[in-house]
Amino acid sequence: MNTAAHPIAPEEVMAFLDGELAPAEAQAVSVHLDQCAECADLAERFRATSESLAQWTVSAVPSSLEESVLEQAASAAAGRMPAKPRSYFDPSLWGWKQWALGGGGALAAIVMLMVVSSAIMSRPVRQVEMAQQVAPSPEAEGYVRTRQPNDQPAVAKSELAAASAGVAQFDSLQAAKSLPESRAGGGGGGAPASAPAAPAPMIARTVSLTIIVKDFSAARASLDSILARHRGYAAQLTAATAENAPRSLQASLRIPAPELAAALVELKALGRVQNESQSGEEVTQQHADLVARLQNSRETEERLRAILAQRTGRIEDILQVEQEIARVRGEIEEMESEQQTLEHRVDFATVDLQLTEEYKASLSSPSASFSNRIQNAFIAGLRNAGETILGIVLFLEEDGPVLLIWLAILGLPVFLLVRRYRRVRTKF
Amino acid sequence: MNDAPRDSEAESSQTPQSDEVLMVAFSRGQADAFGALFARYKQPLFGFFRRRVADPAQAEELTQETFIAILRAAARYQPSALFRTYLYAVGFKILRAYRRKAAFRATFLGEQPLGGEPAIDNAIETQALMRQAVGRLERLDREVLLLREFEQLSYAEIAELLQLPLNTIRSRLFRARLALHDLLATPASHPAARNFAQSKERL
Repeated sequence: MNTAAHPIAPEEVMAFLDGELAPAEAQAVSVHLDQCAECADLAERFRATSESLAQWTVSAVPSSLEESVLEQAASAAAGRMPAKPRSYFDPSLWGWKQWALGGGGALAAIVMLMVVSSAIMSRPVRQVEMAQQVAPSPEAEGYVRTRQPNDQPAVAKSELAAASAGVAQFDSLQAAKSLPESRAGGGGGGAPASAPAAPAPMIARTVSLTIIVKDFSAARASLDSILARHRGYAAQLTAATAENAPRSLQASLRIPAPELAAALVELKALGRVQNESQSGEEVTQQHADLVARLQNSRETEERLRAILAQRTGRIEDILQVEQEIARVRGEIEEMESEQQTLEHRVDFATVDLQLTEEYKASLSSPSASFSNRIQNAFIAGLRNAGETILGIVLFLEEDGPVLLIWLAILGLPVFLLVRRYRRVRTKF
Repeated sequence: MNDAPRDSEAESSQTPQSDEVLMVAFSRGQADAFGALFARYKQPLFGFFRRRVADPAQAEELTQETFIAILRAAARYQPSALFRTYLYAVGFKILRAYRRKAAFRATFLGEQPLGGEPAIDNAIETQALMRQAVGRLERLDREVLLLREFEQLSYAEIAELLQLPLNTIRSRLFRARLALHDLLATPASHPAARNFAQSKERL
């Protein structure tokens, strides 16, 4: 049946029989069918096929179906919509859209869960840190009160307390120093009369401040003047003034304890306080111990000197006593310097200050020329691209085999199921 | 009992109202309009499912489901297409959902499909052979053929329903008819036909 011999295509014969041709074409096909036996045979085949198909009859609609549908129709007409017979959540009814949506949703939920849980895991640690910083130890209570700027009496009182503490401790120091003289005359024995009976608490205070300032140079200048006014000094100071970046200053200040509250108020006035923490270390006990040990050593020294002065003996004995005196003297000096350090820590509070400038980018001072920056950016871009490619290669080398294993473990069952699904699918 | 459209044509000639008019009337609250539509289409639609689904009870259920879906969507009905096309489109969607569901169950829950072909409830041998032959057609060819022969849809309607170009429908139908003719002429299992049946192409 080649088309060259026939003016009409075989498909058109079929379309003609199905009544799908325009009248003019139908006319042409009809004429051709009368003339061409081959095409008439084809048409006959189509008719025969249709006829045999028509034998495929179907039983009558069950009356139960009829009743149920008409019942639903009546209730629908009465305004009650029939309930949806199936749930949307039946996964066997899902198309790829639902699967994609569900899968994507589940993935997003997992990621969210991981993010949230990691945030929760990391939070308690920070809270503990903050609690440690904020919790006022009993000694630091005075300073906690000074943090309220309007509470002037409290400030005064705490200053007074700190001052009196300093005086009391100074007294005890003097007493300890005067002890040897009194002993020299009295010749030992008897309880030390000048031991601190009810020592005021000795507190070594540390304050940490982070301040953001608008004008860095002005802040720097007023920092110096604050130090001068309060007779404090900077134990350590580092200033960083990088170009095109916020300037910053890191300093460890020592401020006389009575002045601390006033100095802190002035420091805070420099700018916006971003972070502040205060702590006080109680060293009363440590100091009292030191004083007592110092006293003992001095008494020992006195007694040894007395021995040396009063007794005459063998040269070895004298040498031994002198050695002993030297050892005790060394101990005393060590303890004295320790005492001084401790007292210095109490007399001078430590303020760790971090000043940062509020950065304003300025156009006026470009660091590099335009062409240089273009070139730098281009090179950086190339380098980044190279790094990225290298990273991918390294990742594949490092994790590729593991990924392949997981792909095999997870992918194989999926592949088998999909294949089975496809095969089964054609049977319906 | 044949469900050929001659019945429905005869019925629609008695009642002057077209399907679309009836459907609009029902959507405006005229309860008996749906009754008329149902009377016209219950047999064709039941036949549609009966010829495509092995289990008669399942075919009945799907028919009911289709009518209920029509009921539910009646308020949104727009007479833009022929009601008949609309009805078969809904039915076809429900059939696809059923097939997907059944295949899903067979795959993942191990339920065995109830044989691919509709059960033979009539012992006439020629009819049995004919159904066997239809079952051997390629899936898409068979669908086009059934839609044309039993649902009496036009080429354009079939194209719309299956979302395929009109020319594809025409050539598929042509191929299916010739293949079926050959299969009926040589009822013994034909290797070519078997290949067709096993083709993985799906609807």
